[in-house]
Amino acid sequence: MEDRIVLLVEDDPADVRLVQRAFAKVGLQAPLVRLGNGDDAVAYLKGDPPYENRAAYPLPTVILLDIKLPRRSGLEVLEWVRGRKNPVRRIPIVMFTSSRHSTDINGAYDAGANSYLAKPETTAQLVAMAEAFKTYWIHLNEQPTLQQAA
Amino acid sequence: MNRAKSHLQPIERLSIKSDQAYRLLVDSVRDYAIFLLDPNGRVATWNPGAQHFKGYKPEEIIGQHFSVFYSEKEKKAGKPEYELKVAAKEGRFEDEGWRIRKDGSRFWANVVITALRDEAGELIGFSKITRDLSDRKRAEERYRLLIEGVTDYAIYSLDLDGYITTWNAGAERIKGYTSDEILGQHFSRFYTREDSAAGVPQQVLQAAREHGHFEGEGWRVKKDGSRFWSSVVVTALKNEEGELYGFSKITRDTTDRKQLMDRIKEHAEDLEAEVRERERINADLEAFSYSVSHDLRAPLRTIEGFAVALGEDYGERLDAKGHEYLKEITDAAVRMNRLVQDLLEYGRLSRGQMVLEPVPVAGAVAGALKELAEPAADVQIRVPHEAAVRAHPNTLVHVLFNLISNGLKFHAPGVPPRVEIQIGPGENGFSRISVTDNGIGIAPQHHARIFQVFERLHGPETYPGTGIGLAIVKRGIERMSGRYGLTSHLGKGSTFWIELPAANVKE
Repeated sequence: MEDRIVLLVEDDPADVRLVQRAFAKVGLQAPLVRLGNGDDAVAYLKGDPPYENRAAYPLPTVILLDIKLPRRSGLEVLEWVRGRKNPVRRIPIVMFTSSRHSTDINGAYDAGANSYLAKPETTAQLVAMAEAFKTYWIHLNEQPTLQQAA
Repeated sequence: MNRAKSHLQPIERLSIKSDQAYRLLVDSVRDYAIFLLDPNGRVATWNPGAQHFKGYKPEEIIGQHFSVFYSEKEKKAGKPEYELKVAAKEGRFEDEGWRIRKDGSRFWANVVITALRDEAGELIGFSKITRDLSDRKRAEERYRLLIEGVTDYAIYSLDLDGYITTWNAGAERIKGYTSDEILGQHFSRFYTREDSAAGVPQQVLQAAREHGHFEGEGWRVKKDGSRFWSSVVVTALKNEEGELYGFSKITRDTTDRKQLMDRIKEHAEDLEAEVRERERINADLEAFSYSVSHDLRAPLRTIEGFAVALGEDYGERLDAKGHEYLKEITDAAVRMNRLVQDLLEYGRLSRGQMVLEPVPVAGAVAGALKELAEPAADVQIRVPHEAAVRAHPNTLVHVLFNLISNGLKFHAPGVPPRVEIQIGPGENGFSRISVTDNGIGIAPQHHARIFQVFERLHGPETYPGTGIGLAIVKRGIERMSGRYGLTSHLGKGSTFWIELPAANVKE
């Protein structure tokens, strides 16, 4: 489990800290890499500078992706990932947003999201969600192969 | 039997006796007046046909001048002499006109006068053949009077080139020209300047020429220069040989109808513009509420989240009062979150389409119960499985949720809340869904007020709430064309009811 990495793409620093805290509370060990906008997410996944060192910036096990993001929206990042010709397109993506709008939900699934989570309204609910996330995406879910050679 | 002549062939015999034969022939004709005039116009012979429809016996008329057959007016005008003069010069004169019988009555006659000359070319007289065409003339006349009498339609005819040849009373009424003014004029003068310049009159005749028929609508110009909207039918007129000799035109003034149609069209366009505007406003509102739900609630999450984090992570450094303050913060954030959601819901109910369909009531109740914070509450459901109403599914769930959660909320201290949901017949084919509680009840003077937005009868310490719940019920039921109300007495619980059209759900 040590090689598991969660990529959190979220522009609101307060939300980032609350998610970090919730993950810590449920004992999620996997490192949480945080990026603040859609362009950075794409650069990270492509291995563009400053993320060219894959050892330092490994491909994530799962991406927690907000929809309302600066520069490039979460849905655009999602479409970009699913449109790759390399194994990057296989990375599980969980949308994590305050929108419960059916346009966003359907759009996300249409674009190939693996799951869609609405940001909970209370801390208790957030912690419960973190627990479920850990169990499902980190422990239960089978990982696709992400290495180019495979 | 005369044997001596019997060897002659019949034709030879007839030819020898031709003078006599012709006389016999003429004398036997009854449908034509056939008689001879001397070069001066005096009647020289008279056949039975002439006697039959002019009324004179031979002895009365032979030797008389043939002008007795003409009206005084025509005699004065010298018409009889003129006819003889033409016949003498041209060899033949043909005419139709009124002639006078012996008894003074008139008949419509077709007349052919032929000059008779001897071998030397000397004029020896005239033959005159007259036919009585009164019946045909009367039929034509009736037809003409009929057409002329029509005032609702302009009926007129054109010659091949479009010059006006007849004109009825309707044409005069609609277009304003008398027949004296317009006969012989070109019909293009009825068209607007632009249409004339564009060659529309010629195109109309061309179309009628090609297809035998043309129908159209358009602006036309009256004598006084004003315009009217006309519906026109043009028909090509052909004689027995199929040769085109002119056109008939029937025109109706349909300005009133046109104006009415234009007004309806304008009105429809206005409505469409209004709908488009409303759709635009709705889209704006949709975008607005989307951003409200996203951006306004994000800081609330933060406030609640960090207040909780503070209490949990640094709790040992706070005294009881500090913890109370933190609780105030989290409660306020939760309340505000609820308020934003309710307002959004209320706003959504006011806009957008609400497509009604048969909704099973038991299913809607189950959906509402799922939303409740305390699902273990005592809720009795007496709704038959097959009961259904015409409603918008989500809206009905929201309405029921608000009624049920209200019923559970407003209970007296120490009394466990209890709610019963029933369905029964309402008025006029409606079904009535009732939600009855064992709560504190509502004084009658408050019954109307509680359905207004933000109306609350209690402070948040006693009964928390946003004051929007019953407003959602009201707006939702109104949007679904239903009815709502309550019966309640202080201290005796309340029954809130809604009525929606009963429906059948297909299994």
